[in-house]
Amino acid sequence: MIKNYSVLSFLAIALFIFTGCDKDDPEITNEEELITTVNYTLTDEAGATVVLTFTDLDGDGGNDATIVGGTLVANQRYLGTLELLNEAETPSESVNAEISEEAEEHQFFFESNIADLSFEYLDVDADGNPIGINGALTTGDATSGSITITLRHEPNKTADGVSDGDISNAGGETDIEVTFPIVIE
Amino acid sequence: MNRTYSILFICLLGGLSAYAQDCDIVVQGNVFDEASQSPLAYVNIFIQETRTGTTTDDDGNFSLENICEGHYHFIVSHIGCDDEKFHFDILQDTILKIGLSHSPISLETVTIAGQTDSYGNQANLSVKRNVIEDNSNQNLSKIIENETGVHLIKNGSGITKPVIHGLSGNRLLILNNGILQSGQQWGNDHSPEIDPFAADKITILKGASAIEYGGGNLGSVILSQPKRIEKEPHLHGQVNYIFDTNGRGHTLNARLGKYSPSVAWKVSGTLKKSGDNKSANYFLNNTGVEEANFSVQLEKNWNEIFTFDFYASTFNTRIGVLRGSHIGNLTDLELALVQDVPFFTEPNFSYEIEAPNQQVSHHLIKGHAKYFISDDQFLEAILALQINNRKEFDQRRNERTDIPALNLAQLTFNSELKYTNNFSDDWRFKAGVQNIGTDNTNNPETGILPLIPDYLSWKTGLFSTLSRSINNTSLNLGARYDFEDQTVLTISRTIPREIIRFENQFHNASAVFSIKSKITDAQSIGWNIGFSMRNPAINELYSNGLHQGVSGIEEGDAELQVERAVKNTLEYKLVPNSNFSFNVLAYHQLFRNYIYLNPQDEIRLTIRGAFPVFKYQQTDATIYGLDVSSQVTLSKSVLALFKYSYIKGQDQTHNQPLIFMPPNSLFGSLTYRAPKAINFIKDLDLEDFEIEVTNRFVFEQLNFLPEQDFTNPPAAYNLVGLKLSSDLILPKYKIRTFIKADNLFNVSYRDYLNRLRYFADDLGFGLTAGINVKF
Repeated sequence: MIKNYSVLSFLAIALFIFTGCDKDDPEITNEEELITTVNYTLTDEAGATVVLTFTDLDGDGGNDATIVGGTLVANQRYLGTLELLNEAETPSESVNAEISEEAEEHQFFFESNIADLSFEYLDVDADGNPIGINGALTTGDATSGSITITLRHEPNKTADGVSDGDISNAGGETDIEVTFPIVIE
Repeated sequence: MNRTYSILFICLLGGLSAYAQDCDIVVQGNVFDEASQSPLAYVNIFIQETRTGTTTDDDGNFSLENICEGHYHFIVSHIGCDDEKFHFDILQDTILKIGLSHSPISLETVTIAGQTDSYGNQANLSVKRNVIEDNSNQNLSKIIENETGVHLIKNGSGITKPVIHGLSGNRLLILNNGILQSGQQWGNDHSPEIDPFAADKITILKGASAIEYGGGNLGSVILSQPKRIEKEPHLHGQVNYIFDTNGRGHTLNARLGKYSPSVAWKVSGTLKKSGDNKSANYFLNNTGVEEANFSVQLEKNWNEIFTFDFYASTFNTRIGVLRGSHIGNLTDLELALVQDVPFFTEPNFSYEIEAPNQQVSHHLIKGHAKYFISDDQFLEAILALQINNRKEFDQRRNERTDIPALNLAQLTFNSELKYTNNFSDDWRFKAGVQNIGTDNTNNPETGILPLIPDYLSWKTGLFSTLSRSINNTSLNLGARYDFEDQTVLTISRTIPREIIRFENQFHNASAVFSIKSKITDAQSIGWNIGFSMRNPAINELYSNGLHQGVSGIEEGDAELQVERAVKNTLEYKLVPNSNFSFNVLAYHQLFRNYIYLNPQDEIRLTIRGAFPVFKYQQTDATIYGLDVSSQVTLSKSVLALFKYSYIKGQDQTHNQPLIFMPPNSLFGSLTYRAPKAINFIKDLDLEDFEIEVTNRFVFEQLNFLPEQDFTNPPAAYNLVGLKLSSDLILPKYKIRTFIKADNLFNVSYRDYLNRLRYFADDLGFGLTAGINVKF
């Protein structure tokens, strides 16, 4: 019977130890990889700028994102610059550098439901393939629609049409996909 | 498949032999079928030490002559059976009576001779040791795949999760060595972290509720059980090696054990390495698996009344996840769905495991003491600790790929105290108390807000069962009460990030009643009804965020109510003789507040694009089905097996199908077994030579709504397998060998419950060869 009691007391002790502790508050993760903001700055030849912005400060869940579109002039060429920010950090951090460092593994794609809107790449990675942080956009006649900008991680840049900006054979996975409403006057 | 072996020995003194004689002892015997009591012909009896053997005649009799005095190991083998080995000291002429139950259908319920089986009349089936050995290259779930009522949720071939009668995850209990397996059960992409090679038997209980095991199970129970160490004074062991052509996988298992009065011990270990699998037409890149497991079992009997056993195991794995299945958002998924060959497919084979992958380790330490108060009463105490660490790696920017995207550590403490009393010849009473404490912690190094919050939960359960066996009927009644306390620490999704604390208490009750009766000598019928309650699990209450494994945003609901279910099973068995058996099990389970992940109409727009939203919701549902199996001995050496599983799940509130219910399936096999040992070459005999053809047909799931899923269920498929196996009898050793072909015709197919079906075909043709040496 002594063994019996020893088993029981062991059980009681183990039970006590376990229930005795409370759960500490977790450390809140530093979301350093998060991209909260995409700014697409379009500059025309005269130097006037239009900034298209997508902001989602709290990440995937929580509050909805804020999207700011813009108005462009018909039959005009714009230089387009992308800026990616993590504004969850203070001060806010630019994600552009991370992308430039791994330029061979990243590519932006520009698509629009406006037929005569055209895009071109003005930057290349070490292999001579486009990246898309710097580019140009040329508008056609007056209309309205949207522009979708996609950042692919590990795309197959040598696949058919990819270096010309055709996303269909790119593969990889999407890091960013934002759509801005635009009006062309 | 289940069989009980009761080997009865009746030893007669060799009448006139007053003193031991040299080498003219005769060992005679009779082998009979335990269920029907009819004699069994063509059973092989083999004495390991003398390497002599014989086969029983039509009356089940055998005789071995000119045996010297000494101790021997006998091996008894029969078609469709596990080899049974026993140790025996032969001092004089001996008669052995060997009862063998050898049908794949659990006959123990037909032989209701005075004692209730320990599973309380539950419909159960089990996988025997030689099946485990021949499939030790597979994981636990895969080994039970061909059993009726069992299906698998997969995330590629390396990650598989069992589904029994349509329920899995939080609703399915898996016990490793009597301890409730604790890990991240909620995830469909998390397989149970158990090395099946350490088990001697894997049993599946399909009844309404296994009251004894608790934990809020509405479903079935899987038990992975090692046997008690045999009272065998010599060092014994085995080495098992398996090679797969598909994945070029190597598996090495070893086991060693010895009994001695001071302490009996058994150790077991497994090493696995495999590379990219191949579908019918292309490689599945990054699907390699690495695994290293080890376990120790110790047993000690202080005296007749106090025994103690100790078990410790460690399981460590790294599993690659198909590179092409890692996607960014809904657009990526839609693109992947129309691809014939997944993105990132390369023409070359590799053992390399890159991101995405999972690294999981699971450690268990357990002590179990048994104390006999009297011959009929005993007390058992169990203490166990489990540590589960799961790390999942994704493709990430800027060398963050080496930082896990999910890193969870779970510590679980189990304790149990159980009292059993067989208080008259036919009554048995059992009662117990169980505690389970779980501490789940996210490592913040991930840089990603956790999907599952940190929590501490404490469960206490009380149960009692009473059973009685009278004449040809056995009855079982059980009740259980569980209390669960949860402390949960979630992180807000809005800025500034805050910690929100939740405290929950749940009370659950369950009850079961079953009756099993032998109608005639050949037939039995069993009915089992159970009511149970399951409180919502942490993931169902508080999941929040992107579940990369399912590429959707999952949201829990803190207001979920306790889930209730009533399950009925009705089982009929027919075993008219040792050549035929038939078993049918019908089940029906009715749920109130069934918790499920419901796809929402809403598409959540994030900076990464659109994601589908899934919310945990509740509904009333029914799941019902039929498990049918039959075995026919067509001739002395040909055995046919047939199994069919039908299942249907329906959401009654919305009058629509339940999503991700397993499709129906059909399994058949034909086995030829050479009735006698074949002399292959001079010193090499082939014993137990078998050829087995298997056929598995899986129907298309037609019970679905298109809006519940990203794509329609895949078409039906049929897989044929072929296996040749034999024991090689060499002058000093007995070696088991086998070679088998899976997906013989290299069919390209996709399985409804395999998440990779959105991206790639399932496994193509593969050859597997294995060798097993026992000593």
